[in-house]
Amino acid sequence: MTVTETVKAVGLRAGARVVGVASAEAFRAGVPEGYRPEDILPGARSVVVAGGDGPTAGAWRSADHRVMEITGYDLRENVAIHAMCDHIERELGHYAVQAPSLPVHGHEPPMSMMHAAELAGLGSRSFAAHIILNPEYGLLYYAALITTLPLEPSPPLAEPACPHPGCVAMYKRIGTTPCLRVCPACLSGTMQNARIETSTYDREKCHSRAQTYGIGSFQKALLALVDEQDKARRHDIIYSDFFTKSVESLGFFRDSIAQCFECMRVCPVGRKYRKLQ
Amino acid sequence: MTDFAVATKQIKTLALKAGATVVGVADAAAFDVHAPVKHRPADLLPGARTVVVVGGAQPRAGDWVATSPWLLSTMGTTERIQGVGRRVAQAIESELGYYALFVPPGTASGDTPFLSLMLAAELAGLGTRSLAGPVLNRDHGFMYWSAVITTAPLEVDPPDAAPACPAPPCREMWEREGTTPCLRVCPIDAGGCLGGRLEHDRPVRTAYDAGRCNTRVHTHWVGGFQKVLEETLNEPDRERRKMLVYGDFMTRTLWAITYSSTNIAQCFECMRVCPAAHGLKEMR
Amino acid sequence: MTFFRLDPELYARHKDEVLRLCNSFQTIERRGLSDKEIAARLGLDERTVTEIRVIAERDSYPLDEWERAIAFKRKACADWAALALKRPELKEP
Repeated sequence: MTVTETVKAVGLRAGARVVGVASAEAFRAGVPEGYRPEDILPGARSVVVAGGDGPTAGAWRSADHRVMEITGYDLRENVAIHAMCDHIERELGHYAVQAPSLPVHGHEPPMSMMHAAELAGLGSRSFAAHIILNPEYGLLYYAALITTLPLEPSPPLAEPACPHPGCVAMYKRIGTTPCLRVCPACLSGTMQNARIETSTYDREKCHSRAQTYGIGSFQKALLALVDEQDKARRHDIIYSDFFTKSVESLGFFRDSIAQCFECMRVCPVGRKYRKLQ
Repeated sequence: MTDFAVATKQIKTLALKAGATVVGVADAAAFDVHAPVKHRPADLLPGARTVVVVGGAQPRAGDWVATSPWLLSTMGTTERIQGVGRRVAQAIESELGYYALFVPPGTASGDTPFLSLMLAAELAGLGTRSLAGPVLNRDHGFMYWSAVITTAPLEVDPPDAAPACPAPPCREMWEREGTTPCLRVCPIDAGGCLGGRLEHDRPVRTAYDAGRCNTRVHTHWVGGFQKVLEETLNEPDRERRKMLVYGDFMTRTLWAITYSSTNIAQCFECMRVCPAAHGLKEMR
Repeated sequence: MTFFRLDPELYARHKDEVLRLCNSFQTIERRGLSDKEIAARLGLDERTVTEIRVIAERDSYPLDEWERAIAFKRKACADWAALALKRPELKEP
């Protein structure tokens, strides 16, 4: 096994569904200064990206949307990243860090995991919120590590995952795709020659759906609370289901991670893995 | 009849297999001289005889050389040692048949922990206090700790005879410049947290501003949230209130509270410059 | 050094432009600008742009939008289940 293959094997054994590699240099073209791997780890040569499963097939079938609001995903791709970081430092003697991916200023993280996944050949942007779709598995969640270890970059995807042939056919017929049709509030787009021609995404509206109960909703409700002069109405806000769930999602972070799956629910990419008994 | 030499070895082997980098055992009674009432092992577990301490989950070599201020403060690894502590507690009870209490890593009230994990690490022979404050292990430097109090009379380890601090470069720097890396990066006389000196090759801490240190280690945490909430409630202008509630500080603080497991510690500057804090292994 | 507070008038003056230039409203063919890049373009300092952007992100939609989000998800999920699981009784009226 090559060094690259052993690192990937460590990640897959630790629970990643897919593992890919991008060179640190590849980030320079599309990423502003301050957000590149070399801005985080001096001497960075490679970025290893792990993709982890989202909800189980059973969760996708629930008619109660609250189920997936709470059990969206289990963060195992981060476990795979830690396993690979430990391996790279302990066995291979090179620096390795988990790429910081939590937002630190508003919505903005220090490094884009979506872009890392694209560059590591794990997926391509879709009509649906520009989510990176893996051609085999569809929606996956991504984490990355940055290392000074030179690794072999994974080849880019030969064909984009989106649009799926079924969506191409649908677009020809009725001028839309499943995701664009289910969520026109956040998404719009056009297709040409079976490729995405234009695509827009209203992230701020999506935020009210993908993180209905979380940091943002807490801030919204808190402002309403501090601006409210009437004692009885303040009481109602504080004890409302909305505020209660918002506070709960601060305490149980898993409740706040991903709370809207409607564009992905109707997406055919990777759907075969959701058909069980 | 339990052979406690064997039992101690068994528990230590389990701890290392579970992911601890180091493990030691302290005598529960040894805490009494140093710890205040209500924060001694027997106050938490009646009949406590020993305390098993595990250290590990420390920042990687890459974390220390990273130039992004966000890395260590948002991708912290301290919680990885908690699971090891829990496993040790469960093993002591299930395999040895003695009571075991995993010391909760949070605070009993305010900023006071249930049991000082730093003191536990020292008494278990796993490290010594540095001039900057954290307990440093001679081989691995700065680490995170977890402790398990037990009624099992395990074999106790002696305190570490050779302190990691001051490291040789620090002694040389003190001779030359009358300061050390940690004192220079965060001097109490210039708005920092630390004051001290080296005396007969030993660190002597003369000042530590815990309140200020808290604003750095827990910048975006409960205290920061309380502060900005108070500012907001006291702000008479509606638009200015919005600036505070939606602002960068409040937003980041709420993220840190939500993702607390990786945002536990948010300032590492005294340890970043410490030659004894990063362990002995060289990286490329 | 005092706690950084953004002047509401400065915010009102620049928020739409900052939102337009950042990653809030995305098109697939171009990336949003960083705070530093926006600051250079608008002649502001980076810290101010960050504060404007963070507040504007949260300020983009009123709280009512959150209520609409809850209703949207409830209906979309139920309607999908009705169709995909062949359970018409699940469809929202």
